[in-house]
Formats: sequence, structure tokens, C-alpha cells
Amino acid sequence: MDIKKLTIASLHEGLIAKDFSAREVTQEYVKAIDANDKNVGAYLTRMNDAAIAAAAEVDAAIAAGKELSPLAGVPLAVKDNMLIKGVTATSASKMLEHYEAAYDATVIEKLKFERAVFLGKTNLDEFAMGSSTENSAFHVTKNPHDGTRVAGGSSGGSAAAVAAGMALAGLGSDTGGSIRQPAAFCGVVGMKPTYGTVSRFGLTAMASSLDQIGPFTKTVEDAKILFHAIKGKDVHDATSIDVVMKPFHYAPKKEDIKKLKIGIPKEYFIEGIDPAVTKGVEEAITKLKKLGFTFKEVSLPHTKYALSVYYIIMPAEVSTNLARLDGIRYSRDVKGAKKLNELYLKNRAHGFGPETRRRVLLGTFVLSSGYYDAYYAKAQKVRRLIKQDFDEAFKEVDVILSPVTPTPAFKIGEKTSDPLSMYLSDIFTIPAPLAGIPAISIPVKKYTVGSGELPVAFQLMGKHFHEADILGIGEMYEEE
Amino acid sequence: MISKEEVKHLASLARIELTEAEETKLQHDLAAMFDHFEELKEINTDTVEPMAGGSVLTNQFRNDEDATNRVANSAALKAFPESASGLLKVPPVFSSEGGSAAGRE
Repeated sequence: MDIKKLTIASLHEGLIAKDFSAREVTQEYVKAIDANDKNVGAYLTRMNDAAIAAAAEVDAAIAAGKELSPLAGVPLAVKDNMLIKGVTATSASKMLEHYEAAYDATVIEKLKFERAVFLGKTNLDEFAMGSSTENSAFHVTKNPHDGTRVAGGSSGGSAAAVAAGMALAGLGSDTGGSIRQPAAFCGVVGMKPTYGTVSRFGLTAMASSLDQIGPFTKTVEDAKILFHAIKGKDVHDATSIDVVMKPFHYAPKKEDIKKLKIGIPKEYFIEGIDPAVTKGVEEAITKLKKLGFTFKEVSLPHTKYALSVYYIIMPAEVSTNLARLDGIRYSRDVKGAKKLNELYLKNRAHGFGPETRRRVLLGTFVLSSGYYDAYYAKAQKVRRLIKQDFDEAFKEVDVILSPVTPTPAFKIGEKTSDPLSMYLSDIFTIPAPLAGIPAISIPVKKYTVGSGELPVAFQLMGKHFHEADILGIGEMYEEE
Repeated sequence: MISKEEVKHLASLARIELTEAEETKLQHDLAAMFDHFEELKEINTDTVEPMAGGSVLTNQFRNDEDATNRVANSAALKAFPESASGLLKVPPVFSSEGGSAAGRE
């Protein structure tokens, strides 16, 4: 068995045909992490014993003749802002360095029920705030294609683990692009589902009106399998939605997918895009045209304001959500405070890294009396205009295609001193979460960048609850 | 556009103690962000309703029934650095060193 060639779909077939056991597969992945992760730094916590035990249970279920879920025995990497009972969940912050989860996140509960295997918890930017994992309090995750470059972020650990063959698939969370951007940088598939489709219960909250959990996989077909396993209404998340999935959503017919019209938003093809990205996106469009898809130019006029809107709304929610990390709960590294206020001041100063502080202060500002209307309320109004742009465009087309990022993976340290330049790397991924729509990053191939080669991807954005559209087109694209 | 005093005030509101160097850096970083935000003034939003987010913007109700806590009290307490007799322990809100209120927890 060559784990490099495995997919979720082929693993399932192999288990049923008894070509290999779940235990053998998991052991191969454990070995791969042992051998490679010192160069990549994808993992923060390993779960070797639990993983082998879970795989052994899958083998026992096979031996007992039980019906097997497509995810049974699939070795997964889980971003360290999701809770697995009894395992640390640090969110890559000193503030939560020793926090051990007392319960399972809903997505984990669902995957345990499917008998998936968890290999460990992966690195991220602290509290999922960043585009490179350089904001992790522990270490930087390197891009498996070029160790001098970032894996992207914030879910860089899960993306790199899948890309480097250190997990068959993974979970990430996306707030402004934190699944799609690292997927693009690492050359794997990453999808942010429609807001509310996947429960956020047990996901350490960053910006609650934007956060959404989604899959990292090697193929679009695998992303579909993992997405369907984690979606669903959850009583513990009042914003989760009971989406009634029609057969079309599970297994759309090719001839129906082929009828979908693809929009090209002119505002996404701007100056400053790296030539390798332009080439990659053009290649994807050419291939889709060959498959028979029709294209139409559309306009999303408020696109250029998305970054400002995002960097007002997101920090506002961050400053609110992170208020709970006060030194009373989870950790108290600075001891000896005589008064409660002193305890807050010292522990939050010690526990939060620079980017977290920056966003908490920015959020505190835009929510403060006197500035609320000028910033926060204004941003919420423009957010509606951004959503309405998509509503209008989706009257003319079914799906929108764009680049994922303006450049391929950048160098480690290149953008750390200038937060605004780091934020600008998210311009194409921010609009979808503001509008709540699903979006997927699909790799094209590697292109020459400098002296090496780096992956380039394209993005498909769909209507609310139309994951089937973007997954369907993606599957046809990768079959070609 | 943002003064050092305002940065200090924000840090105090956010309960984060900053060093002098951090205050200077944050003053610079926040000013750059506020400059960027100026572009929003170009857009007339007089008739636009704010959007709080999400995809289905209707209220979600559940039945008003008793629910049991999934996490045992003892397991939850494990996540807190200091506790006593099953309760969280924190320093006093107001304190006068050695005074009668100082020992209250």
C-alpha cells in the first residue's frame, strides 16, 4: 500500500476488499509524521495511541461484518481550535497551552460515530488569526513544497499535513479564508461551507458570524464525503441550519452540473496578481470551457470594500469572544495579582500574542461609544451591500470563479512586520464569508515561481446551500 | 489620527497591559487600519439595513425544556487554574492590603 496514492474513497474500497487493515494504514501515517513533521511542523499534539486504538476498532468492526461508513479508518488531522475530549486544544495560544477539552466538538462527535481516526491536532495562527501560521505561539508551519515559504493560514497545519502525506484529510476553520488560502498554498482541496451548515459547537470562537468548519482533502470527491459527514443542525449551535439535502445535493447528475453557468467577476482580476496565479486561473477556465461550461462576466461592485468591512466586523467579534480569556478560566500564568483587574491586565498581556492584541484593541475601538456608528454599524451596512452583489450576480450565473490568493505561498517573514500587507493576501477569500456563501479552493498545478515551483489554485463560490454546484464542477474538473 | 492616550485607554478597556514599545507599534498599526477604513465613507448607506451575518437571518427557537449539562462540574473545574470546594477562586475586586475585605475570595 502506498499512502501517497490513497484517497478517502480508495481507502474505503481497500478496507472492504481487505487489501490492508485500518491499523496498517494508521501506522503508515504515524510513521510518515515521525519522518517528515520535523521539517514541516504541521502538528502541535500527536494522538498516536488513540489513533491506533481507533483503527483497531475499525478492523474489529470489519471482522464482525458490520457496515462501514466511508470515513471509517480515515486518518485525519484536526486544527487545534476544535475540541477533542481529553486532548489539549491550544488554539496555538499561550493562553490555552494546557487547556484540555472536557467534551467533543460536534464535528468530532460526528466523525467518531463514523469511526474516523484522529492523528493529532494541527498548528494555526493564534486563535485562527492570521494568514501564515506565523502567529502561532509555538512554531511556524512550513510549506511542504518549499520550506522557506509559509503553508498559509490560519489552518496551515491541517493543509500542510494533507499536502505532505501526514494525514489523508483534515479539518480546518475558515473566517476570512483560513481554509481556502492554505489549501491553495499547499496544493490541496479546501472548502468553506455555507454559514450555518456545519455546527460551530466546540470550535474556539474567533468571529462568530463568519467562522465555519470545513474539509481539507486531496480530491474534490473526498471533500464532498467529509463535508456530508460533518454537516447538520445541532441543538448546541443556534446558528446551525437544518438543510434538507435533496438527492441532487448528494449525487448531482453530470448533465445537470454541465448546465451550470460560471461567472467571472471583473473586480477579482486586478493589477498586482502574480503571473503564476493568472496562468493557473486561465488554465482552469480553459479546461472548464473544454468540458462544455459556459462563462459570463459578472460584476461585484463592492468587492474592494470587503477588506475594510472584514477588518472592522471580525475584530469586533474577536474582542467580544476573547473577553472570556481573562486569567480566571483556562490558565493563569502570571500569579500573585492582588486585585482582580491586575489579574486580567497581566494575564491577558502575557497570554495573547501581538496579532491577537492588535485585533482585540481594534475591535474594542470600533465597538466603543462614539465610534460604533462610524465603523461597526457602517461596516455591517456595507456587508449587506457585498451580499447583495452576490445575490444580483447569482441571478445571471450559478457559480463564480476567481483566484484564491493574489500570489502563491510567500516567504516566511516576508509580511510579518506589515500587518496591512498580510491582510491584503486575503482579498479574494474575504467576500464569501461576509456573504455567508460556500466556496472551495481547487488546485490547478505547480508553476515556476522564482527558482522553484509552487501550487496555484482557483476558487469556486456558490449560492447559499449550493455546495453541490461547486463540488460537482470541481469533481468534473479533476476527472479530466 | 489615534493618539497614544487613546491607545492606552483602549488597552485599559480591553484589559491588556502594554509596554511603551507596544503602545507605539499599535498606534502606528491602528492608524494604518483607520486610514484604510476611510474608503467606506465613499459609500452611501443611508437606506441600507445593517447585516449581522449568517446565511438564514431568522430566529432559531428550541423547545423550552430542561437540559442536562454535558460536561460534569468536576471536568469543567479542571479547566480553571484555581478552585476551592468546587468553586472558582479569584482575587478580590476591591482590596485594601491586609484589610478585612482582602481575604474574601
